[in-house]
Amino acid sequence: MDLLENYKKAWGNQPEETNKLSALEIYKLAQSKSSSIVKWIFIIGILEFVVLNSLYFFVDMEEAYNEYKKIGLENFIHYSQVLAYVIIFYYLVLFYLNYQKISTSDSTRVLMKKIIKTRKTVRNYVLFNLSYMAITMIIVMVAEINLKIEELNTKQILLIILLTLVITIIGLGILWLFYQLLYGILLKKLNRNYKELAKLNNID
Amino acid sequence: MQKDLEDKFLSDFEKNQNIAHKICRIYTTNNDAHKDLFQEITIQLWKNYPKFRGDSKFSTWMYRVALNTAISLYRKSTRTVKTQDISDFAYKIKSTDYDDTEELQLKALYKAIHQLNDIDKALIFLYLEDKPYKEISETLGISSVNARVKMNRAKEKLKNILNP
Repeated sequence: MDLLENYKKAWGNQPEETNKLSALEIYKLAQSKSSSIVKWIFIIGILEFVVLNSLYFFVDMEEAYNEYKKIGLENFIHYSQVLAYVIIFYYLVLFYLNYQKISTSDSTRVLMKKIIKTRKTVRNYVLFNLSYMAITMIIVMVAEINLKIEELNTKQILLIILLTLVITIIGLGILWLFYQLLYGILLKKLNRNYKELAKLNNID
Repeated sequence: MQKDLEDKFLSDFEKNQNIAHKICRIYTTNNDAHKDLFQEITIQLWKNYPKFRGDSKFSTWMYRVALNTAISLYRKSTRTVKTQDISDFAYKIKSTDYDDTEELQLKALYKAIHQLNDIDKALIFLYLEDKPYKEISETLGISSVNARVKMNRAKEKLKNILNP
């Protein structure tokens, strides 16, 4: 007989849990706060929307706008911000809808897929925000150079380009690493289990 | 949730709570973690109960939600170190009225299961609970064929740990 059959018998005969809960205890337990991964993704996702959007409060918008006007970018900034808000709103709705679809009554694989999809919505939002910042910075740089093109020599122009690129790459790189770390820690276990499950679905 | 639905849930869960305790035993190795996971399972069952339409048995649905919670929602890593002490879960097993050999087998079994990865734990658990392949594949969301293949591998791993 299979070795495991004996163990299976022992498993079947194992005594019931000694610390059983009463209906009232279960009720109380059910009212406590969840600390699940999904809840954390939701909280962090919302925080990202709030934090990234409130960055604008720390910038003197009027001064920035005057600067944009000076280099002739006020229209570009205006329209691109409108567009950015439309896209942010789209991501926020998508994020919420994906979050709502997560249900533990689904099969393990479907549930994991939905969690990963929700997390990817936030990742795409962050990527969009970072690229928006990078593009704006580069366009402002080009406009600044264009304005002072007669006063600057080639060496100075190259220096400005290099500096802007380095600052942009470092700044966005740090932010990106931070996100990778945050979600890496949060989703390490989930990703590992998903890979394990996906692996076994590709056996045929 | 409506009052009668709440009562129905509480009575169903109270009767079937041993399923959740067993899952906690295989996915955690100390009392605090057991309680922690049990709490999260309770919350998830409660939250999802209004969506449970009763097209399957309560216990079948409970296996799914509880395993999902342990595998995908529970934040702490359930992977355990290989030198884990047997006494960690011995407190849970009453030794009276229980055959000695079987008690030792059970302890060895839990110790071996703790060394498996989360997905293999689920497969072995469903095998030990005598679930048909159809239910196993539906719970995990993989095809029946894959469930069989993966189950055989998980069993092999378990056998190698139990009988090196």
